[in-house]
Formats: sequence, structure tokens, C-alpha cells
Amino acid sequence: MRILKNLGQALRGLQLNKANTFLMTLGIMIGIASLTVIVAIGEGTKSKVLNRIANMGFGPESFSVYSGAGRLFFGRNRNITSMTLQDVDDIRAMPGVAIVVPRQRKRMRIINKKEFTTTRVYGVSPEWQPARQWRVVDGEFFNDMDMDRKRKVIVLGNTPAQKIFGEMDPLGKKIRVGQVFFEVIGLLETKGLTESGYDPDDRALIPLTTAMSRLFRQTHLHSIKVVSTNSEAVRETMEGVTQVLRRNHGLSPLADDDFRFVTPEGIMQWVTESEQALNRMLLLISTVSLLVGGVVIMNILLVSIRERIREIGVRRCFGARRADITQQFLFESVLVSLLGGVMGSSLGWILSSSLNHFNLLPAKITWDPFVLAFGFSMIVGLVFGIHPARKAASLSPDETIR
Amino acid sequence: MKISKIIEIDSIIKTYKNEGLETNVLKGVSISVDEGDYVSIVGPSGSGKSTLMTILGCLNQATGGTYLLDGEEVGKLRDSELSRIRNEKIGFVFQAFHLLPGVSAFDNVMMPLIYCDKTPADAKERVKQVLIRVGLEHRMSHTPGQLSGGEQQRVTIARSLINDPKIILADEPTGNLDSKNGAEIMSVFDHLNAEGRTIIIITHDPIISEHARRILTLRDGQIVSDEINENFKKSRAGIARVAVK
Ligand SMILES: Nc1ncnc2c1ncn2[C@@H]1O[C@H](COP(=O)(O)OP(=O)(O)OP(=O)(O)O)[C@@H](O)[C@H]1O
Ligand SMILES: [Mg+2]
Repeated sequence: MRILKNLGQALRGLQLNKANTFLMTLGIMIGIASLTVIVAIGEGTKSKVLNRIANMGFGPESFSVYSGAGRLFFGRNRNITSMTLQDVDDIRAMPGVAIVVPRQRKRMRIINKKEFTTTRVYGVSPEWQPARQWRVVDGEFFNDMDMDRKRKVIVLGNTPAQKIFGEMDPLGKKIRVGQVFFEVIGLLETKGLTESGYDPDDRALIPLTTAMSRLFRQTHLHSIKVVSTNSEAVRETMEGVTQVLRRNHGLSPLADDDFRFVTPEGIMQWVTESEQALNRMLLLISTVSLLVGGVVIMNILLVSIRERIREIGVRRCFGARRADITQQFLFESVLVSLLGGVMGSSLGWILSSSLNHFNLLPAKITWDPFVLAFGFSMIVGLVFGIHPARKAASLSPDETIR
Repeated sequence: MKISKIIEIDSIIKTYKNEGLETNVLKGVSISVDEGDYVSIVGPSGSGKSTLMTILGCLNQATGGTYLLDGEEVGKLRDSELSRIRNEKIGFVFQAFHLLPGVSAFDNVMMPLIYCDKTPADAKERVKQVLIRVGLEHRMSHTPGQLSGGEQQRVTIARSLINDPKIILADEPTGNLDSKNGAEIMSVFDHLNAEGRTIIIITHDPIISEHARRILTLRDGQIVSDEINENFKKSRAGIARVAVK
């Protein structure tokens, strides 16, 4: 087959002009590498968020309301103090509401003798456990009595427990949280790291009342978790909650909410939206870099044709048709572009893996970018190779051997 | 044996047009060459020798006149058909060798076979044979940069022979060589002609043209003389002696 022989000649050409070949692959390589990394980060972020949702203990019938305007986990104002126990009582009184869990939260250092670590300390009501359905494997969760008496008791997640107790049994031991001593009364069941590196076990729970008066020394809440009696009532309940909170916080009809809802649906929607935005950015970045790569290939090929004008002429003298020359140079540009694609994919794969490995950014490697890389580099090679290839073929043989 | 005409050109005109500037290079050249003949074309620089060769070699179309190559009217052929004719019927040898740089002698000789419609099954064997023929069996994997000028020119002769063409067209084949290497190359041509191959050599060196049976002189785009070389028989006898020895 003549076309295969031209392909062979193209391979030889690339081999013989290594410097040019290398330069031509660079642009494509960078384009494809960035494409691969961006896709991997996108996928990684998505799976991280999805894992996060899975680990928040959200059922379709529950939602949370966080203090401060904003969206989801991204509050705009951290100094809002308007959410209080009054809100909790009023929500609890609403029809269709099954469980309400008020929460306070702070990252704090916890200390056992010489061992210490920093973890998320939550002040919650005892309903946290049924609402979250998270088992206590050792000891027990605090109860209403602990709440009423503002007892200094603490339930540890596995991560802080391991860090400050190691192999020892933490139950009954006293640990210091900030300046206050707590007795460990329970250990939460271990959930384990999610695929994306989020650690749900990195937490400690204390009675809300204790948190308010003895540890955090504040009355306002961080968030409230609400479980409806059934999932159909969720929308209605959220509307009711909005009304209650706006009234309680004294917001005028024109003022924005000073709280925000976090629902599994909302998170999903956010993931989809940000994914779309990311995809658009990705498309732009990769298009631009691939275009640049393509132009680089075209220019180097044009220069290389000038350098190889003798070669073209001699081939023509010995029977190469225009089509043979076109094919040879088109193959060169496509091959070089594919080579750039392969190198870019590999580089992207290495970069994504190391981003993930060193916990810099979540990255998840999927097949799509590699398929895209193949397709894109092929197209770039064809589109930007055709002009130089035809130019090479159009040279008249007698002038090329002078 | 009936001698057939391999080349018949009649009133060939070649005019180059560059940005309105017309250069009349060939002004009505008529030549016919017998199959198996040994022709040299001589003439001063700029007289149109190389231009004539590009037309004879189907590298370029004449502006006027007719060209019958091996009985085929070449003037009206499409580019791809001219490519096929070059591939099958003509072997070129250039002053500047024009070998593919970085490519082994073997692969350089193989190159024209890429452009055959059917690559012969014994391609590799054929390449070896022609390389042996020009005395380069020990240099097959050398690249042009690793070969002397004379060796390079022998590679180009092997390349011109690979498709077993009817005509060898050589433009100043010894122009880049010293006299010793030049003489060796000319003896290769002499042998090829003795075997019956048509050879046309362009040169301005009388020592080279002396090898041919027939000497055409071109001046200012026209044939001004067409002579039979009296010394041809004598040199032929020399070849016969070498061949016997
Ligand atoms: N493409 C072209 N356009 C315009 N003029 C050309 C072109 N090619 C050749 N010529 C002109 O045609 C004339 C003959 O050129 P050619 O190369 O055939 O000469 P030559 O007999 O081979 O000379 P030399 O012995 O120096 O090689 C020259 O005057 C040259 O300038
Ligand atoms: Mg010349």
C-alpha cells in the first residue's frame, strides 16, 4: 500500500529531524497535559463533593440551615450571630418537623497529657445521633441529663482518639479541650477516609449547653439540622423555616436572608453548575493551547519544508506524485501531534497523580481526557498540517533540485 | 535488430515567465535519440542544458513543441502520470548527488521503489544487486555524510538503476568530483551503455563528452551541432578489454 509507505517515510522524516519533531510536540504536549490535569481536577472535586454529601448523613428528608448569607458551605459573613435556640424551638414547633439538631462548631486543640491534636469540636443536642444515625461503638452518646447539667463529657471520632490515645482505651479518661477538662464517654464508629481524602472521623462532640456556657462561651448557633417527617414535606418545611428565621432575626421584607440552606439537592446542583463552568473554562484553555500548538506545528513544518526542499524534489524526480508528498507531510504533522498528545497525556497523568498524592488538589483520573487527547491532537495535526503539506506538494520538481 | 527511437522531441520551446519577465531558454530544439545510444549534450553555461534535461526528464513541461518518450506523447500528461513515467522510465543522476541526508545508502537506493505501484517482492535483493554493481557492497548502511563524493555519486547511480529505467539522465555527474573519481564514475556509465542502456549526459567538460557516441552542442537555446564521436569505438574497445579482464 502506497499510503502505508508514505506513512513509513513520514516516520523516517520525524526520526531524522528530531529537533523539529520535539519542538512540534511541545505545544500539543502542553495543551493536552493541561487538558488532562484540568479534567482530573474537575472529576476529583466532583467526587470529593459527592463523597462529602454521602458522609453528611443527609437523607432526602433532611436539610441544614447555616448561619450567615451565602451558598452551601461558603458563608459570606462569619460574624453573624443571629441564629439562636429560639429559632430551634420555633422550628421544632412547626408541623411536619421530626427532629431538630442545633449545632455549634469550632476547630480546637484537644490534649491528653502530652499528646494533642486539632479537631472539629461540635456542640450538639443528643438528637444529633438519631438524626445522623451514626453509631457509638464504645461507651455511649450523651443524653438529655448531660445536656441539662451541662456536663463536661465528650464523644470522640476515631481520628482524634487515635492521635491522642493510640492503643489506649480512651473511655473514662479526662482530656483537655482548650482550657476545659472533659471526660471521654463514647467513641464513634469509624467511617474511614473518603476516596477524595476527606476525613469524617476527624471530629469530637460535646453537649450543646456545655459548649455554650463553658467552652465556646457564645449563645449563637453555627447551624441547625432539620429532619422532616417525610421527604415530600421538605420543601414546605424549608419555606416555614425561612419565615420563622426572618421573623426571629427581625429582617425587613427587603433584606436578604442572613442564613442559608444546605440540602443534598443544592449540593448536587452546585456540583453540576461548577462542573459546567469548569468545562467551559477547560474548553477555552485547551482550545487556545491546542490552537497555539497547531500554529507552532504549521510554522515549523513550513520552515522544515524549506529546509527539505531538496528531499521533496528528489522524491518527485523518482516518481513521487503530489499526493505522495501531501500524504507524507500530513502524516508527519498528524504523527507529531499524536506524539504530543501521548506525551501530554502522560505528563498530565503524572501531574494529576502527584497533585493527588501530595494532597494539593483532588484529582481523579478518568478515560475521557485520553480519548479527548487522541481526538483533539488528531484534528489539530490534520488541520494545521494540510497547508504545509499541500505547499510541499505544489513545489515543482525541477525547481526543487536546482 | 530494429533500432527504435526512445526520445523524439520536435521544436521544443521553453519560456520562463517571472513577474512579467519572459526568458526564452529553449528556442526550438529537435532531437531524436535511439534506444541504447550514448549522448552527451555540451554547451556554454546558461545555454539551456539543464532546462533541456528537466524537459527530457519530465520534470517540467515544454512551452511549445512535442515530446514522444518511448512512443508516448508526454506533453499532455497530468502530473501524476508524469510521476509514473519518471518512476518507471528515467533514472536521474545529479551533479550535487541529492541523496536523502541521514538515510543509509541502502535506503536511498530503495527510495524510488516506494513510488512504484507495486513494490517488487525482491526489492531488497535488487537494491543489493545494484549496490554491488556500483561496487558499494561494503557501504550499504553508510549515510551520505559517511561516504566520499565518488561513493555518493555511485549511490545515486545505483538509485537511478533500481527501477531498471530505459534512460539515464545525468546532469554534470562529475562536476563535484576530482578527475580520478570522475573517471571511475564515467566508466560505470560506459559499462551501463555497453549493456544497452540509453544514457544522456550533460556536461561542459570535453573529457566527459568524449565518452559518448554522439555529442550535441547547445548554444543560446538551440542545437548548433550534432556530431558522432570518432573516438567512441576506441574507448569501447577499452571497455571490452576491461570486461574481459
Ligand atoms: N525558473 C527559471 N526562471 C527564469 N529563468 C530561468 C529559470 N531556470 C533557468 N532559467 C534561465 O535559463 C537559462 C538556462 O539555464 P540552464 O540552467 O538550463 O543553463 P545550463 O546550460 O544548464 O547552464 P550551466 O552550464 O551553468 O548549468 C539561464 O539563463 C537561466 O537564468
Ligand atoms: Mg546546468
